[in-house]
Amino acid sequence: MPTHHILHEFDNAIEALRTDTLLMASLARQNLERAMKSLLERDIELSRRVIADDTEVDELELKIDQEGMDILVRFHPMATDLRLVITSMKMAHNLERISDHAVNIAKRSKKICKTMPLEEVSLSEPLYTLADNLLHDAIASYSDSNGELGESLKARDKELDQLHKQLVATLSGRIEGANERTENLLHLIFVVRSIERIGDLAVNIGEDSVFLDEARDIRHTSRQPKTLSPD
Amino acid sequence: MNALPDNPILTPTSTAAVEIQGVTFSYGSSSPTLKDIRLDIRKNEVTAFIGPSGCGKSTLLRCLNRMNDEIPGARITKGEILIEGTNIYDPSVDVVKLRRNVGMVFQKSNPFPTSIYDNVAFGPRAIGIRNKQQIDEIVENALRGSALWDEVKDRLHESAYGLSGGQQQRLCIARTCAIDPEIILMDEPCSALDPIATARVERLILELREKYTIIIVTHNMQQAARVSDRTAFFYLGDLVEYDQTKRIFSNPAQRRTEDYITGRFG
Repeated sequence: MPTHHILHEFDNAIEALRTDTLLMASLARQNLERAMKSLLERDIELSRRVIADDTEVDELELKIDQEGMDILVRFHPMATDLRLVITSMKMAHNLERISDHAVNIAKRSKKICKTMPLEEVSLSEPLYTLADNLLHDAIASYSDSNGELGESLKARDKELDQLHKQLVATLSGRIEGANERTENLLHLIFVVRSIERIGDLAVNIGEDSVFLDEARDIRHTSRQPKTLSPD
Repeated sequence: MNALPDNPILTPTSTAAVEIQGVTFSYGSSSPTLKDIRLDIRKNEVTAFIGPSGCGKSTLLRCLNRMNDEIPGARITKGEILIEGTNIYDPSVDVVKLRRNVGMVFQKSNPFPTSIYDNVAFGPRAIGIRNKQQIDEIVENALRGSALWDEVKDRLHESAYGLSGGQQQRLCIARTCAIDPEIILMDEPCSALDPIATARVERLILELREKYTIIIVTHNMQQAARVSDRTAFFYLGDLVEYDQTKRIFSNPAQRRTEDYITGRFG
């Protein structure tokens, strides 16, 4: 924040909300990274950790919602402050879903790792790299209040969608005649589906960062961005 | 950020109830309290004036019905205020008639030491209405319009001092409405009221907007956000920003406005 609030308690409350949101973001991203590592390196122990660590992310979601509610009730924030509270609460919701997808990936990874190695898992790595880059920039757009970066994510997500589509087609094509590998290929299709959804959720965070920075709501707009002005 | 014009003046429209044209105001020889203020206030809207103490918002409000005329040395040194196209500071303007047209409700409720009925009937009688039935109708309509009728209809001839603070303030609003003004000025009308009484007055303001143009000075920004259509932010005698209330409180164009409404001032 450029200047301090007259009430130190308000600055402290806002800072706590921001810190917890960024902590939750780093945990969700770490869960995703570990889930993918467990899949690519056949590390069942790591997948178990992802499943266990999700509880911490869930608890942070509840904490952030409570902190946001407390700020609304106690301080009646306006303008930038109000947008920060709203955006943080929405971001927490998106991050919780991202971590849930990481758990889904970890659960599928556990199943895949219990059987013979599946060479196709490496095909998911470029998709994960794209999704992780999107997530990194989504988090940065929130932490730096960078609407321009947030708005750029939607276009970049198209590349991820395209790659996801190709990958599903490739994996589906290999299911035929795969016999004992069929189940694992199906697990992998669900993994790449989760990665694709993480890209969408990163886009949501980017859109909310545009609102945070510029008070513009760009959700559900493909052509003309809408401003807050009702005139 | 959304592009906004640098000039905070609202584009003049045919629906302007008050046109404030480059008004500079001074209390005697000191530096001006208001500096080149330009804004139009629209008919049948609630306009809020906000800003820190000493910013000039109450001074401007009091300029609109020439209440400052009573202060020695205080005067508009430049500019004009037009109501329905007439410069209200023109020597030909009858100030009593102006104040009939531009009523005022003050910070502290100030009922007369008479009955509830006589408080409301005072204005109509002062402008020469003598017919008892006509005055009865005006009193009932004004009290109904001020959402007070049901609470006082059985004790109209009891002292107004027996009413609660919130009821007294609504009585003062009824007294203002009884002379059927076009514009109602409110100078922190809820600052002495509890939250329930405040909510009743705010509901009343929203209802009165249908019939009157209302200008309210308030230090309570949530109140400005709740009841007003447009908000003007003043600082050290300058009009910093004037825009739709939604915009002012969600995404103000000026940094000073943002700092003030988010509590980062000074």
